[in-house]
Amino acid sequence: MSTATDASLDALRAEAMEWGRKPRANGTFYVAEHIVRAMRAYGWTIVVGALGQPILYLLGLALGLAALITVPITDASGMSVSYVTFVAPALLMTAAIQVATEEFSYPVVDGFKWRRFFFGFSASPISPGQITTGVLLGASARVLVAVAGYYLFIWLFGLVFQPAPLVTPETGWIAILVGVLGGWAFGAPLMAYAASIEEDKGQFALVQRFIFMPMFLFSGTFYPLDSLPIWLAWIGWISPLWHATELGRTFLYGRPTEPFAIVVHIAYLVLLSVVGYVLARRHFARRLAK
Amino acid sequence: MTTTVETSAHLRSGGVRALYAGNPGAVVQRGLVAARSSSWVVVLSGFFEPVFYLASFGIGLGVLIGDVQTSTGVEVPYAAFIAPALLAVSAMNGAIYDSTWNVFFKMNYGKLYEGMLATSLGPLDVALGEIVYALLRGLVYASGFLVIMQVWGLNLSWTAILALPAVLLIAFGFASLGMAVTSYMKVFQQMDLINFVLLPMFLFSATFYPITVYPEWVQAIVQALPLWHGVELVRGLTTGALYPGMLWHVLYYVVMIGVGLIFTTKRLRALFLG
Repeated sequence: MSTATDASLDALRAEAMEWGRKPRANGTFYVAEHIVRAMRAYGWTIVVGALGQPILYLLGLALGLAALITVPITDASGMSVSYVTFVAPALLMTAAIQVATEEFSYPVVDGFKWRRFFFGFSASPISPGQITTGVLLGASARVLVAVAGYYLFIWLFGLVFQPAPLVTPETGWIAILVGVLGGWAFGAPLMAYAASIEEDKGQFALVQRFIFMPMFLFSGTFYPLDSLPIWLAWIGWISPLWHATELGRTFLYGRPTEPFAIVVHIAYLVLLSVVGYVLARRHFARRLAK
Repeated sequence: MTTTVETSAHLRSGGVRALYAGNPGAVVQRGLVAARSSSWVVVLSGFFEPVFYLASFGIGLGVLIGDVQTSTGVEVPYAAFIAPALLAVSAMNGAIYDSTWNVFFKMNYGKLYEGMLATSLGPLDVALGEIVYALLRGLVYASGFLVIMQVWGLNLSWTAILALPAVLLIAFGFASLGMAVTSYMKVFQQMDLINFVLLPMFLFSATFYPITVYPEWVQAIVQALPLWHGVELVRGLTTGALYPGMLWHVLYYVVMIGVGLIFTTKRLRALFLG
């Protein structure tokens, strides 16, 4: 009698293990899928933002200021380009980081605190590490869409408004990848921070105003970084936006850049991404164990 | 006995009396008390946004651009050109933020206005009170920014001090209209629409460069929008290039305030007292 019970218990356990195997193996993608599907709730905001922002910023800032700045801009390598050409890569990278800022802030707090769906994932065979990676991938999908849209737009914009194309097609597409990397470099540390927030006291408003804004304004976005005095220029040196923008200028309009500088920019962005990711994983694991 | 009946009948018999109890101060006071419990760092941080823009564009782009001609033909340094515009923009942003996001949450989640309107306060008291509270905050930001302009030598005339009442006028206009628009919003994703209206206005309203760079028909659109009038008004005052046409800018805002107030009061009455 007892042996029969044991056997059926074993059978049940085996069956449970079998059912758990798939989510165990593919958990990361299930989580990413959830994040992307949840975006449909504000899908039109994404589309309008992805299309509207580049159009407005390029027409408003780049073309308007270009009317005042008629002399070519001399960038860090000594190459002279028109003002619009100079600004376009920076605006693309800004868009990547801005979308990352949106996706890696409140939605993460949401998953832990308000709608608590991360605890739901955690109650299934999906591990905290998979949840972290899944959230990262899901959000990255939106960054990718935003950057690719921006890329296509400035490509067309260059064809229509510029005598010379804004984008060098052979290497230009690499800027899309750099955009995603730039998004991670700012987004992954932000995700780690968001995962540690227990009480919403307007922290993200402060991040927006005291980190994102200065980074956007002092990263050589609208003029070469060396126009700034040294006491402001350091903001650019440590900001992922400046490193991403420098890479963007290299790949988008083919600015000559030392291979060493390319390696340094990429290494810095990778470093920020990895440190942010590792910290985020730790915060996720700790908080989901509570 | 008869007198009491008469008085109360008189107090509540339609017209302005039904809308206004003469006590918007109570709503302002409530705002100030509530502000004490919210994070002051977040409130204070709103002041820094125009300062960062001024530092970045004034220092970095100033080198590339040099002097710029204002609409009255005066040549001013680039930083002195954008500073008054940023002042007008921050008045707009502050007023819109307070009268849309804050009001939206109080209206739909806090159910604050239902409570207020259940007292002797009328919809016009609530509208005026909320707007005056938003103006107080705007006044603090604007004063701080004007001090910074003074320190950096960007106030080119004594008339710059008149920028303070001008900023209040601008904020009043946006706040009264913003509150009316908010009363139509049902879910908070719709609030993104507001940004979608503000961003192009911010970028195109002669903020960073004179609007003469545009073709005529674009200029006409820009000139129809409220921010351009605010920018021109404040720029005239801080650069000291006064001209009689500035009264049109003032009139624009007076009309906007009137329309906004009537609109908001009607909406509040329809929503809560209907």
